[in-house]
Amino acid sequence: MFFHITLERNMQLHPRHFGPHLRDKLVAKLMKDVEGTCSGRHGFVVAITSVEDIGKGLIREGTGFVTFPVKYQCVVFRPFKGEILEAVVTMVNKMGFFAEAGPVQIFVSNHLIPDDMEFQSEDVSNYTTSDGSVKIQKDSEVRLKIIGTRVDATEIFSIGTIKDDFLGVINDPGAAS
Amino acid sequence: MSADEDENAAELKIGEEFLKAKCLMNCEVALILDRRLEQLQQMSDDPTNQMSQVFEKSHQYVKRFSRYKNQDAVKQVREILSRNKLAEFELCVLGNLCPETVEEAIAMVPSLKSKGRALEDDAIEKMLNDLSLIKKFE
Repeated sequence: MFFHITLERNMQLHPRHFGPHLRDKLVAKLMKDVEGTCSGRHGFVVAITSVEDIGKGLIREGTGFVTFPVKYQCVVFRPFKGEILEAVVTMVNKMGFFAEAGPVQIFVSNHLIPDDMEFQSEDVSNYTTSDGSVKIQKDSEVRLKIIGTRVDATEIFSIGTIKDDFLGVINDPGAAS
Repeated sequence: MSADEDENAAELKIGEEFLKAKCLMNCEVALILDRRLEQLQQMSDDPTNQMSQVFEKSHQYVKRFSRYKNQDAVKQVREILSRNKLAEFELCVLGNLCPETVEEAIAMVPSLKSKGRALEDDAIEKMLNDLSLIKKFE
């Protein structure tokens, strides 16, 4: 799920940037430093939408760098256990499949795919029901439920399931052909 | 990290911080990111250079999965959903997944029915009908 939250960060600025454009420099640096990062607590920072407040700077002894406390609002993406969302399948193998929901990778193991779906290793590997009516392959859109997350310093991995009511394929790219 | 262990979106346990925060539906994020991209394009000739991978992926994702494309529709959706005293998180799950039946809505957002809330099936059905109307007339 995407959230709009307010975060705080202490920014260090080199003295050469002091001058009339100090604020611009600070905001530019903030965007460069923060956007695209990921933390276990807040998830992926997608984009900063506004800077709420820049506090009084504090000169650090010895270096001349100044630390500013900056409060900013941003759009973050954070997956939650138990959340249901839609994702695009990126890879299928006999262990299960990987799907992507925005910046987050989700793995669905073959134990968490309905039992009537079998792995097929044709030219495009896929999972298909015995009557062939439902097919999961690369680029399929699936609705899945997140059952666990693992947080890394720079990435969040999730485990999902499609073995529940109202979950599974919502759009099959191969259906038309 | 005991807080993380208890996390369960189905029971609306997503941590104080996120419960209070404003959630965004995919269609809203699409609007925000579109505007952001425009801004960056004006500022420099080569915007792709500055885009983080996270931004890129999120943008593609929300474009693919936004149910409502124009701004007024998005506004209306939020209005209809917020009439029913939903938590922000519930509101956005419904707005993102657009369930068609009451049964499906409850499966998607189990917290609608837990904690003995006075949300009747009829109310949910009306809400879903209103949503599909917006979609139709968009």
